[in-house]
Amino acid sequence: MKQRSRILGATATLMVAALALGACAGGGDSANKADADGNVTMTLWHNSTTGDGKAFWEGAAAAYHEQNPKVTIKIQAIQNEEMDGKLQNAFNADDAPDIFFARGGAKLKDVVDAGQAMDLTDLITDETKKAINEGAFDALSVDGKVYGMPMSVLPGGIFYSADLFQQAGITEAPKTMEDLNAAIDKLKAAGIQPIALGAKDAWPAAHWYYFFALRECSEDVLAKSALEGDFTNECWLKAGKDLEEFAAAEPFNDGFLTTSAQQGAGSSAGLVANHKAAMELMGGWNVGVIGDLTPDKQPLADLRWFPFPAVDGGKGDPTAMMGGVDGFGCSKNAPKECADFLNFVVNADNQRKYADAFETIPANKDAQDVITSDALKDILPAYEAASSVSTWLDTLLGQNVGNALNVAVVDMLAGKSDAEGILKAVQSAADKG
Amino acid sequence: MSALPVLNGGSKAAGGARSSRSRGRKTKEPSMIGRRERLEIAVLSGPAILMFLAFVIFPVIMAAYYGFFKWKGYGVPTDFVGLKNYVTILTDPEFHAVLGHNAIILVASLLLQGPIALLLALLLNKKMRGQSVIRVLIFIPYVISEVIAGTAWSLLLQTQGGVNRLLQDIGLGNLANDWISNPKIAMWTLMGILTWKYVGFAVIIFLAGMQGIPTELMEAARVDGASYWQIQRRITIPLLGPTIRMWAFLSIIGSLQLFDLVYIIWGQYVASTAGTSTMATYMVVNGRLAGNFGYGNAVAVVVFIISLIIALLYQRFVLRRDTEGALTGGTR
Repeated sequence: MKQRSRILGATATLMVAALALGACAGGGDSANKADADGNVTMTLWHNSTTGDGKAFWEGAAAAYHEQNPKVTIKIQAIQNEEMDGKLQNAFNADDAPDIFFARGGAKLKDVVDAGQAMDLTDLITDETKKAINEGAFDALSVDGKVYGMPMSVLPGGIFYSADLFQQAGITEAPKTMEDLNAAIDKLKAAGIQPIALGAKDAWPAAHWYYFFALRECSEDVLAKSALEGDFTNECWLKAGKDLEEFAAAEPFNDGFLTTSAQQGAGSSAGLVANHKAAMELMGGWNVGVIGDLTPDKQPLADLRWFPFPAVDGGKGDPTAMMGGVDGFGCSKNAPKECADFLNFVVNADNQRKYADAFETIPANKDAQDVITSDALKDILPAYEAASSVSTWLDTLLGQNVGNALNVAVVDMLAGKSDAEGILKAVQSAADKG
Repeated sequence: MSALPVLNGGSKAAGGARSSRSRGRKTKEPSMIGRRERLEIAVLSGPAILMFLAFVIFPVIMAAYYGFFKWKGYGVPTDFVGLKNYVTILTDPEFHAVLGHNAIILVASLLLQGPIALLLALLLNKKMRGQSVIRVLIFIPYVISEVIAGTAWSLLLQTQGGVNRLLQDIGLGNLANDWISNPKIAMWTLMGILTWKYVGFAVIIFLAGMQGIPTELMEAARVDGASYWQIQRRITIPLLGPTIRMWAFLSIIGSLQLFDLVYIIWGQYVASTAGTSTMATYMVVNGRLAGNFGYGNAVAVVVFIISLIIALLYQRFVLRRDTEGALTGGTR
């Protein structure tokens, strides 16, 4: 008897385990669908884990819920470095957030090609279309169809501390590479680390390469190379050599190879925020990131900006810019309210709040009047005058080649490889993808 | 080798008990045994076997399947490329580099942790003041989670971090270094952290093994005039053999699979630059982070095969004499 009850017990345990497993597999995306009363719940993933940015999304969701009481938006803030991987996992598992963070380029194209994103072309209102530059929509488009709503435009360039420049006796923002090298010498002489670089995250180091390429390569070559993954034009090698030469003067902060970009006071943005380094090459989001990392969490008062300097003999236009657009897309299973919400968050009122919270340039032109930061005021005219604005190369190239290129640049800066090595890495990554 | 200390001795004892019980029953009701016991075995081990099949064997088979495709991870893989992924892996200089790193970690772990742990265990096996406090202190790093240990060390070892500061304060400022990112010493930094982290585990296992050595042997030796070191060298260490071989096996497996500490300290990208990347970080960087899921699966298969071969060889040539009795002496 005893034996039988033991067997029964074990069988019961087995069945419970099987049920539990079945339950895990079953509970998919039922939360997305509207319930009997027409209540809709949408999920949103954004990459602002701190301060005002986080509060903005909570506020926007609440404001939208007030106008549309049947729609609730569940928000999840995800650390920026985790975002790409997490999103990809979620798409792979067919369990993506309804509203997802998008930067365009090949990364967005992969999602679109997999049929995971919603075509927003006809869901964007005329009012929205009028307020936002077409170029911003282009950055989030694939094959002429819009898959993302631009929130902010983020042109890249060199952020610097005006106080530290003054301390080192630099009177004017550098315009050419000679100016920049001279400024670096002066900063070093004054005992100030010239440039903060978060090479642990690889992409900040690679930005230096991208900007040298932007100056060395003509606009056509740049676009063609990125599209076809063809880096045979000699300007790519020249860009690598430019960076090698520039780095040989040791302009970067001590231990830059293990410095991260945005996390904490020891990160490259943190070094600038705490006046431990004078410059950082970054995208337009940096004003907000640095503001979060100052000792009093206030915007850095003396933060200014200048465009990447002109390179002698380069074929690229010296006013050409590289940058990104931060936006949000709707995943394929998202309810129809998703596009409506996106139109709502880019109205002038919300965009002013967004610009305020993130210390960035809003995509909606009508909202650009709220910009107060000197650095952003430096960016705006350069952005207006730019001959072209190209998307970050790693974004354009996608995760596979993009990451390999980023790591190859770090290898070169660490002295493990050279300018040719960067181009070899691109080829080797193409074999794996 | 007559006395088998704890690890194998324990399992042998368990096996022995099981066999004697079934033998005892066999004499009473011989006809009932076969079916009933088989059912019992099936029911009791069923869930575990199901789990094993579902979460170990099935993923391995799926990985082998995906490894033949060029696959971005969305939907069902369709782009069959045959063995191309494997050719790319085996000809990739970066993969050769990570194999070398894993080999260094494997050998250096054994050579560093083994002797240190043995000395500490011998020391702690003697009666002395504060023994249990020292045992706890040595074991604490093993208990701390890898994330916490990795984060703490990466902060301490930065150029502006605590370690360099300490060196400067005690007048050894010229020893200060870029511990993490200097490719010439990054591997040794990693080995230092690994030793700190895992030596406690080896010490505890060795101590447990020492408890299983009959004290009569040592007393007899002492009566015959053997010195302390002679006793340790001729009695304790030889009798600790099975324990040491088992620890070495665990250490080898751990070295082959090393991922977390490297990934936390060096981040997603710069481990290969610093020369501390391992097969596992290579798999994650070139598979998941690059979005090449087909390639990543192929790497997983290669890592699996390498680990399997090393484990089997070790079992066959080193562990065999230890496990012979324990594994084959059960019910038949």
